[in-house]
Amino acid sequence: MSACKPFPVDLAADQSGLPHYEPPPCQVACPVGTDVGSYVGLIWQGDLPGALEAITATNPFSSVCGLVCDAPCEPACRRASGDGPVAIRALKRYVMEALGPSFHLPAITPDKTQRVAIIGAGPAGLTAAQDIAAAGYLVDVYDAKNRPGGALAWGIPDFRLPAEIVEQDINRVLERCPGISLHLSAPLGEKVFLDALRADHDAVLLALGANAGRRLGVSGDGLDQVVDGLSFLARINGGERPTLPSHVVIVGGGDVAMDACRAARRLPGVNKVTVVYRRGQEDMPARAHELSAALAEGIEILSHAQPTAIVPRPNGEVELRLRRTEAGPVGADGRRSFREIPESDFGLNAGLIVAAVGQTTLGEELERHGLLAGGRLKADPVTLATPLPRVYAAGDAASGPSTIVQAMAQGHKAAYMILAALEGEEHPAPYHPPYRSRFAPVAQDPEWEKLGREDPRFLGLGDDPWAEAEAGFDAEAARRQAARCYRCDTETGSTDYTVKMREAIFALARPDRDTAAIARRTTERLNARTPAPAQPAPTFDQLVFLPANLTRLVIDPYRESCRTATPLGEGLDLAHPLLVGGLDGAPGPVREAAAAALAASGGAWLGRTRPPQAGLPWIQALAPGDSADASAVLVLALGGPHAPATRPTLARPGQLWGLRATPETAGAVLALAIEARPDLLLVDGCGTLPADWADRAQAPDLGLLPRVIDTLRAHRAEEAFPIVWFGGLRSGSDLAKALALGATAGVVSMAAGLALGGAPADQGLAFPPDLDLQAARQGLEQFLKAAVSEGSMMARCTGKTDIHNLEPEDLRTLSLAAQAVTGLPMAGVRAPA
Amino acid sequence: MVTIDLSSLSVREANDALRAAAARGEDIDVINPDARHHIGVGLVHPVTVRVHGSAGYFCAGLSHGARFEVESNVGWGVGDSLYAGTVVVGGNAGAIAGVALRGGEVVVKGNVGSRAGQVMKDGTLLCCGNASFLAGYMMYGGRIIILGDSGERVGEDMSAGAIYVGGRVQSLGSDAKVETPSPDEEADVKAFLARHGIAFDGSFTKVVNAGTKLRYGVSEPIGRPQPHTVFSEGASYWNAKVVEDIRAKSLIGRYRIRGYGASKAVPHFSDIAIKVDPARVGAAGDPLAAVTLATTLGDRFGAAPLRLSMPVMIAPMSYGALSKSTKIALARASRLSDIVENTGEGGMLPEERAEARQLIYQCLSGRLGWNIHDMLKADALEIYISQGAKPGLGGQLMAKKVTRELAAIRGIPEGIDLRSPSRHPDIMGADDLVIKIEEFREATGYAKPISVKMGAGRVRDDIKIAYKDGFDFVQLDGMQGSTGAASTEVLENMGIPTLAALQEALDGLAEIDHKGDMPIVLMGGIKDGVDAVKALALGASAVAMGTAALIAGGCISCMQCHVGNCVVGIATQDPEHEARYKTEVQAQAMHRFFEAVRWQIAALTQALGHTDVRQLSRADLVALTPEAAAITGLPFDPAYRAVHEQLQSQVA
Repeated sequence: MSACKPFPVDLAADQSGLPHYEPPPCQVACPVGTDVGSYVGLIWQGDLPGALEAITATNPFSSVCGLVCDAPCEPACRRASGDGPVAIRALKRYVMEALGPSFHLPAITPDKTQRVAIIGAGPAGLTAAQDIAAAGYLVDVYDAKNRPGGALAWGIPDFRLPAEIVEQDINRVLERCPGISLHLSAPLGEKVFLDALRADHDAVLLALGANAGRRLGVSGDGLDQVVDGLSFLARINGGERPTLPSHVVIVGGGDVAMDACRAARRLPGVNKVTVVYRRGQEDMPARAHELSAALAEGIEILSHAQPTAIVPRPNGEVELRLRRTEAGPVGADGRRSFREIPESDFGLNAGLIVAAVGQTTLGEELERHGLLAGGRLKADPVTLATPLPRVYAAGDAASGPSTIVQAMAQGHKAAYMILAALEGEEHPAPYHPPYRSRFAPVAQDPEWEKLGREDPRFLGLGDDPWAEAEAGFDAEAARRQAARCYRCDTETGSTDYTVKMREAIFALARPDRDTAAIARRTTERLNARTPAPAQPAPTFDQLVFLPANLTRLVIDPYRESCRTATPLGEGLDLAHPLLVGGLDGAPGPVREAAAAALAASGGAWLGRTRPPQAGLPWIQALAPGDSADASAVLVLALGGPHAPATRPTLARPGQLWGLRATPETAGAVLALAIEARPDLLLVDGCGTLPADWADRAQAPDLGLLPRVIDTLRAHRAEEAFPIVWFGGLRSGSDLAKALALGATAGVVSMAAGLALGGAPADQGLAFPPDLDLQAARQGLEQFLKAAVSEGSMMARCTGKTDIHNLEPEDLRTLSLAAQAVTGLPMAGVRAPA
Repeated sequence: MVTIDLSSLSVREANDALRAAAARGEDIDVINPDARHHIGVGLVHPVTVRVHGSAGYFCAGLSHGARFEVESNVGWGVGDSLYAGTVVVGGNAGAIAGVALRGGEVVVKGNVGSRAGQVMKDGTLLCCGNASFLAGYMMYGGRIIILGDSGERVGEDMSAGAIYVGGRVQSLGSDAKVETPSPDEEADVKAFLARHGIAFDGSFTKVVNAGTKLRYGVSEPIGRPQPHTVFSEGASYWNAKVVEDIRAKSLIGRYRIRGYGASKAVPHFSDIAIKVDPARVGAAGDPLAAVTLATTLGDRFGAAPLRLSMPVMIAPMSYGALSKSTKIALARASRLSDIVENTGEGGMLPEERAEARQLIYQCLSGRLGWNIHDMLKADALEIYISQGAKPGLGGQLMAKKVTRELAAIRGIPEGIDLRSPSRHPDIMGADDLVIKIEEFREATGYAKPISVKMGAGRVRDDIKIAYKDGFDFVQLDGMQGSTGAASTEVLENMGIPTLAALQEALDGLAEIDHKGDMPIVLMGGIKDGVDAVKALALGASAVAMGTAALIAGGCISCMQCHVGNCVVGIATQDPEHEARYKTEVQAQAMHRFFEAVRWQIAALTQALGHTDVRQLSRADLVALTPEAAAITGLPFDPAYRAVHEQLQSQVA
């Protein structure tokens, strides 16, 4: 098939093969594959247009579904067995109420000459019409009634689904698809005929629904006081509000029965409505939601009663003769069977009996062409083809009474098959709803584990009995409910237990999994190969520490503290091994906050400019052309990234001095250091000091520190002066690794900026103009505290009571690349190659 | 009355005789005790044992209800984990007198060594002389009476209980403070002294917990994890995860905490392929009938071994980290699949014991819930040294999870922020461990296998110690092993990967010529039968699964185990959240998962041409990455899959 397909019928759009997305149970349960996880996540984010796009992408009747979808997604929700499923349908309604009326899609002008005829303007027919027209074909839709919508318009009463909601969705389809021509009041066999349609069109789709109610099948079911549910509801939905007898009895336990009983309850003259059902109340096929609404509106349910006859009474009423039943075993169809109890007959007087015991498809025209069998259209379940060439069937007419969303799914499938035929594809792949994800972020709601399910407020009969019986969510309720979603669609936070892995484990544990399923999963696992990851330059992440266990004594933190005092020279007796640098260009107040935090924590300041805080030890970073400042404790000659640092001119006698080595200058700088013995050597793994947030742009050269140490050791100068590491320190773990590799202290820059409240921006970090300086100061202070304690924790775990006792032997690498640049063995190997 | 002469009997024979006499209700005289260790351990009958001389380590340890009278001195650990009963020592006691007391009375007429009453939970420890340093270290409850001087740092990090000092308080421990005892308390102490016939006229200073370190000041903002793609797969250095971490730490001033194990990519079993044609898997009849899977563990020294229907068991996870319902479901699943469950740190639940056919009982540094009765009910005992997720650190359980029932099982006060020491009170090194193992064997009549649980550090050396110390088997846990709560920094940076750990363990045993002489049960990221087969082929004797089992039982991998509000009711003690967990449903789900694992192991073994899972070997594997090849020594064949697919397409 060509690449240009409307999304719902384009199987190539399926993303379930992507490595980080697994269609969640709700999406799989949805016949049209709605991307539930994304729209729920987007609602929490406040991105309602995004949510609308996700909802409507595969669902042309989204507004309708927000109100009356049977929502098979909800029982499938993994939270259902916990504290109740996510309120998926009501969340859809929330979005559609907010944006549906003003939501229009750009029109798709037909660009093909072929025509398709569709009989029935219900959810199946119009969904198929939309897909086919969206592919550029012309579509004629014929409907027997004077209003489109099929069961939506004629089957579901206003208090559940107002007519304007149906119009909203249908108008959106028609505006989007000018290629659709709608022909109303055109019943098949009266105004339009199959032979003519087949002659005029390249394909015909029969989607005329289950258009007739079944009779009760007992004597007296033809009496005037007996009507079928569909006719009854069609009358009401046509606008009639007839006065009915006082007692109305509905026979049946499905959704039509619920709609009929609740409609009858609202009609003048009615005092009592009784629903008679032959099985138990818990066995009713009606949705629990509808049943509870009926009960709340005062409907009586008489279960375990099977009609046997209807007998006229002299007063114009009828007597419904009933026999008690009892529950039997669960049958092959998964439903509980029942048996009649002998000699348990009784009667129920009623003014009107509504038989809501099933629907069927009728039509002489269909009979004439031999298309009907057992009240349904003959159609292949996979291809939807009828015995007549180029004639297809979909929806309730083909598959029996079902749901709106099932009918839409059939519409999509029919369109897929018809488009395949129109485009000459003789053997299209079997249809399935293509699963897509918008990869919406997970709701970061601290209450997500606690929040309970809320149902939309039930309004019931109210002042206007024909007004909607259920309210929508307000924005807060919608956000709370959206936060509850597990987001089974999203990738986990672990490269080990990924979303695909989790689902594979779930699959092995499912009740319906058989040996074949286990074998299939096993094959998938055998074939799964993590793609060879791009090998970026090794970072601190590829180093791990070796904990003390049996061969070394574990340190008990409650008993043995881990020392962090860091002497870097006279005037540089620091409380801990962390310095802050690369803040020269930061906004003044940020520098002040940083200096205050650093002074409080007992660290030192590294920069070209003096710290804005008296008493804070300053290591002056001396760029070429700068001159030394007498107030600096130590003058650090930076040199250039490529030009080796040289011995600086000091501002006062006795001033400490140091040199900076970069990956490019290390050779020359070390030669000088070995000879001249500076007071400090700064190893700049990024080679970027003194730029602002100097380590933001790249990961540091992990091998530089080991190379420096090796060189110094070769010249017996390893202990000659303290070594301070700069580059890529993000945490106390990174710091501990730098110390283990041979540093005495480390400088943070980008991490300090983030802790001060900076946000990553194109050029370094951006600080809000209204930055809370107290919070910024506290942020850095807390970060330094956390990082130092993390570093201590690493040392303790390796069996050390002083952070400076960390050594290379405490480390292993996780990759050969890291082994190569550090000279440290990879975990699990005997020795570096 | 029975006289037992230790000059002619071994301690093991003496303890057998002691138990036999006590069971008959006879009092016992032990003569020529020669300061031997473990005298009277595990005695559970209310008789009197008189030791005529000095006893060594752990005298009267793990006993319940007996009265011990030792004429002279005792070594360390007198009255270890005593449940109830009385121990009277005429002379001095060594270190950790009354360690982990769960009840009863230990009276030392002379001085006591350091750390007296460490991690004790109830009962009374009386020292009539002076105490050495760190008396009452990390005690959770009970009472220590010191008539002489307290020693340095008395009450260090005690959570509850009280220390009454009649002499000088030399220095207070961290988070301890001094109070004046109430008249009632003082009277109670005096009554205790009078009951033991000890005269004391002075007054007491009371040392209690000061409550400054028990709780974190600011709680960490709750955040669901970002998808791993944010930081994996070549993400930028300062990625969103790094930014989030720094932001969080800048708010709380300490490390972040979460559940699960290492989340970053490390060399793992996915870097190894099984040399099997997938088309052959399960194609030659029922693999379960064709392959022997049954495995025994723990008979290295003659104990009654664990008998597993397949080389798989459930990894140790505590009641505490997990809800009771989850523990029951795990135990039930283990019975249904005829494998072994493990109590983890939190003590043994009666329901768990009833559900599990075979249960390993774990002993940790805090000795939480550790007692002789549950030792006797267990099918194996396990000394926890560390775990893969957080090796080198003690456990923590926040007050929210320390419910009444949980506290009762662990033997601690309800609602405290529970901390465990990083190391055992009585295991400083390999030698101590030998004696500890011996104590457990003495207490349980040498009938139960004793294993060691250890995280992965210097495995090559650690495994040699484990071998020489005489463990029956090793439970080895790599850095991918999960936990209910640990510092993210420790999770990601401390320890080595499971694959490396296994290889080092095998190499270490080979280096001392004991390859294959001590079974290794491998855990840490074993997810199904495919991973299990790889581990077995490399040389593991069995594998243990924790996280995978929990996922099979409904865990959604949100990694928020530490919060305590587990959305599916697994990692929680909150009744409303726990009610979301359907024990029977999830037990069955886990059972089905384990049966699927069984099928996978059998089918893969069969497809490789073997009839017994022990025939799996390294010849059945290839390495797909240079790292996996370097670690395991397997042939490096990154094209293995391509070749295989090529073959398939040729056949097709």
